[in-house]
Parts: sequence; structure tokens; C-alpha cells
Amino acid sequence: MTATSTDVVLSVRGIEKSYGKNHVLRGVDLEVHRGEVVCLIGASGSGKTSLLRCMNLLMEPDQGEIVIEGAPLFRSARGERLKLSGRQVSAVRIKTGMVFQSFNLFPHRTALENIIEAPLVVKKVPRAEAETRARELLTRMGLPDAGHKYPSQLSGGQQQRIAIARALAMQPTIMLFDEPTSALDPELVGEVLAAIRQLAAEGMTMVIVTHEIGFAYELADRVVFMDQGVVAASGPPRELLLSNANPRLAAFVGRFTEQARLLGPLAAPAAAPSLTYLPTKDNGSCPI
Amino acid sequence: MKFDPSIVFANWDILAYGLLVTLKYTIYTCAIGLAIGLFVALLQLTPWPLVRWTGRIWVEFFRNIPLLVLLMWTYYALPIFLQIQIGKETAGILGLGFYASGFYAEILRAGVQSIDRGQTDAAVALGMGYFQRMKRIILPQALRRMVPPLMGQTIMQLKNTTLLSVLTIPDLLYQAGYIASFTYRPMEVYTAIGAVFIIMLFPLSALSRRFERKEAA
Repeated sequence: MTATSTDVVLSVRGIEKSYGKNHVLRGVDLEVHRGEVVCLIGASGSGKTSLLRCMNLLMEPDQGEIVIEGAPLFRSARGERLKLSGRQVSAVRIKTGMVFQSFNLFPHRTALENIIEAPLVVKKVPRAEAETRARELLTRMGLPDAGHKYPSQLSGGQQQRIAIARALAMQPTIMLFDEPTSALDPELVGEVLAAIRQLAAEGMTMVIVTHEIGFAYELADRVVFMDQGVVAASGPPRELLLSNANPRLAAFVGRFTEQARLLGPLAAPAAAPSLTYLPTKDNGSCPI
Repeated sequence: MKFDPSIVFANWDILAYGLLVTLKYTIYTCAIGLAIGLFVALLQLTPWPLVRWTGRIWVEFFRNIPLLVLLMWTYYALPIFLQIQIGKETAGILGLGFYASGFYAEILRAGVQSIDRGQTDAAVALGMGYFQRMKRIILPQALRRMVPPLMGQTIMQLKNTTLLSVLTIPDLLYQAGYIASFTYRPMEVYTAIGAVFIIMLFPLSALSRRFERKEAA
């Protein structure tokens, strides 16, 4: 949807990860370009969240390479391993901003304090400057008056928007979303999706793990379908989600289209007789 | 035999001294226990297995030895093992302090580990280092949860100081025995010190319950 330039912001190559016998990632390659919105879809256990958590090294792969804006974050191949100090890792990691399924706001801090925390202690931004920026972010997220509130005083959708603002406060070059709407009540999903949509419109580079297929279809420049720890299919949403080339992908998408079909009658109220528009009784006995 | 409280009042100075000794040992051993306990808890929270196990062994050792045995051993056996002289005061403080450290360490460790993993994830993703996370995110939340069990353990610690009387340290219980030995009135004296303990500890327990309720809310 946005003009996608060719320079690569994030690249992962040959990522492998096992938990005991469970081989969750089996050699994943992926490049994300500047301004691109990539949606990772797939069944539970397909490795999409693991892959996302590897991208900022919240999870350490067993093998492979992660490079963000040309700076290596992780490299390990055949026993040879790039050694980086905690400080070096952190310097690369903060180019990414992450939003979690369960928000993970700091409950002992107000919304504003949540947002300024990392700029203050990691980037050593002066407090006044950090607060000004945080207020701008709150306004951008449609929550200009929520700054003094604690997370427990906010709805799930509001918390998630604060969490997005907190990630943006570090001025990341790429945003990583881990099922940002999965923990929300259905009526709160829309406001978070709207916030993400707005970021996309502003040209933010994003990787979004999501179960909202319709959202992926609408917003993504590229949809990546993960299956059993590998990228099973990848391409523009229209081609990928509507093609039947990959039977597992077709089956996965099929569940959503089936659901949409069942909901179809609800989406077209004009066709149904309206109960509130029953003609009033015309008895012709109106007194003149 | 009639209950005669004047026995207690006539010897109030002996009991008051005992109370001071009890409080002194409580404060000393709680301070030592908390300091060592914090260190041992940190050992158990490091990523290195050998260090973690050292902490674990410390905790299990002091949690599984009866306090009376530990005190006797520290006073009578340790000096012979190490070929040193240990006074009863030192033995009492070390024994009770080390004993407390095992329990305090466990409370501190559990408090830190009870904080949701997502808090660490978020802090790491924002670029915060280990000490920044601990100081600014994890410990402030964990401390709130730790307050009620820490108060409970401190109450136990005060009660446990009565065992020091077996080392002839003149705490409240030892002083009561002393008064009983020359007045032949154990009924009044032991009733009195029982009351003193309850009067001292009841408000602490009530306070601890209030914290618990606040934490649950």
C-alpha cells in the first residue's frame, strides 16, 4: 500500500530453533524492506511468534543470522558464533519496537511513565523532552487524557494503544506486533487495528503476527504463511490468500472465509426486513 | 494457689532487661538474615547453574535443620571443628541469622519469580539491561508482594529468639525462668511473658494482614 523502497531493514536467514525434540523453526529466511508491512499468519504452533521473538533476540535461535539495518544482532553457523556484549545487543535491539499479545505494560507506572521509561533510562533523554514526546504519542493514539492513569484503570484496547505508544517512544525503525488483538474483547479490536493502520499509512515498517486474516488482506504488502516451522508461502495478500496453490494455506484461509460466509447475512441488513420500520397502522380514522 | 501479679511487677526490671535482649537479637538476626538472604536469593536468580545450586543448597540446609539443633551445633560443635572460641552471643546471632537467611532468601526469590515473564520481555525489548530491569521494573513490583511474607517471617524470628535461652542468653524466656527459680511462682511469670509476646506481635500480625488484603485488592 505504501511505496516500498528496496533497502532491507531487517533480514533473518537460516533461523533454526528447537525446544528439546520440538523443532519450532526449521530454517526461516525473511527480508523486510523499508515501509513494508508484513503479516505473519499460520496455525498455532507454526512458529510465527517464535520467529517474531527471534527478530529482536527475545528468543535466541540455535542457528542462523539476524541483521537489522546492516548491523548484525545474531550470527551462528556450524559452531561459529558472533559474540556481542549486552550493550551491543541492546543498541541493535532498540531499532525494533515490540507490541505483545498481553500488552505487558508496567502496572506500577502510569501510562505516561510507561512511555517515558525507556527513553529516560536507556536513551538518557531529558525528562521534559521525553514527556513532551509521550504526550504527542498519546494524542496520536487517541488517548490524550490517559497519561496519569494506571494500566489497571484502562480497557484492554487502551492498554494496547499505550503499549504501541511505549514502543514508538524509542523511535524504532521497525515495529514487531505479536498477535496485538488476540487478548482483546471483540468490541475493542477495532481501535487497536485502527492505530496500526494509521502507522502503516505513516510509512512505518512492520511485521505483524495476526489471526485477523481480513486485516492482513487489507493492510499487508506481503503475507507470509508459516507452517511447521518454515515459510510455506509468501506473497502479496490478494494473490496469496485467494490462490489455491498451497493446500494447507487454502485450508487455513478456508476456515476464515467459511466464518465470514456464516456472518454474511448479518453484514447485509438492508436485504432483511427491518423490524423498526414496520408501517404504522393506517386506519383512516384520523380526526380532522 | 492464688494468681498474684505483684510477683511480676516486683521483678519488672529483670523482665525489662530480658525484653531488651530479645529485641536486640531479633533486630541483629533479622538484619543478618535479610542481608545474606538477599545475596542468596540473587545467587538463585542468576543464569549460571553452579551459582544457582550454591544458593539452593544454602537455603535447603538452613530450612531443613531444626533451629534448636542448629543453635546447639553452632555453640558446641562449630568451635571444635574450626578450633576457635565462640561466645554464646556470637553463636546465637550466627545461628539465628543464618537460619533466617534461608527463609528470607526463599521469600525474596519467590517474590521476584512471581512477576509475570512478560514484564521482563517488555523491558528487554525496550533495551533495558539486567540491573535497570531489576531496579525499575521487577523489584518494585516484587517488593509489594514480599511485604506480607517478610513480616510473617520477622514475627517468627522474634518468637524464635526464645530458643536462645538454651544457650543461657538472658532473653525474655530465660529471665522468666530465673525469676521463677527464686520466687517459686512460674504461673505468674510465664503468663506474663506470654502476654508480652502476644501484645508485641498482635499489632504486627494485624498490619501484615492489612498488607495482604491491600495486595489482593
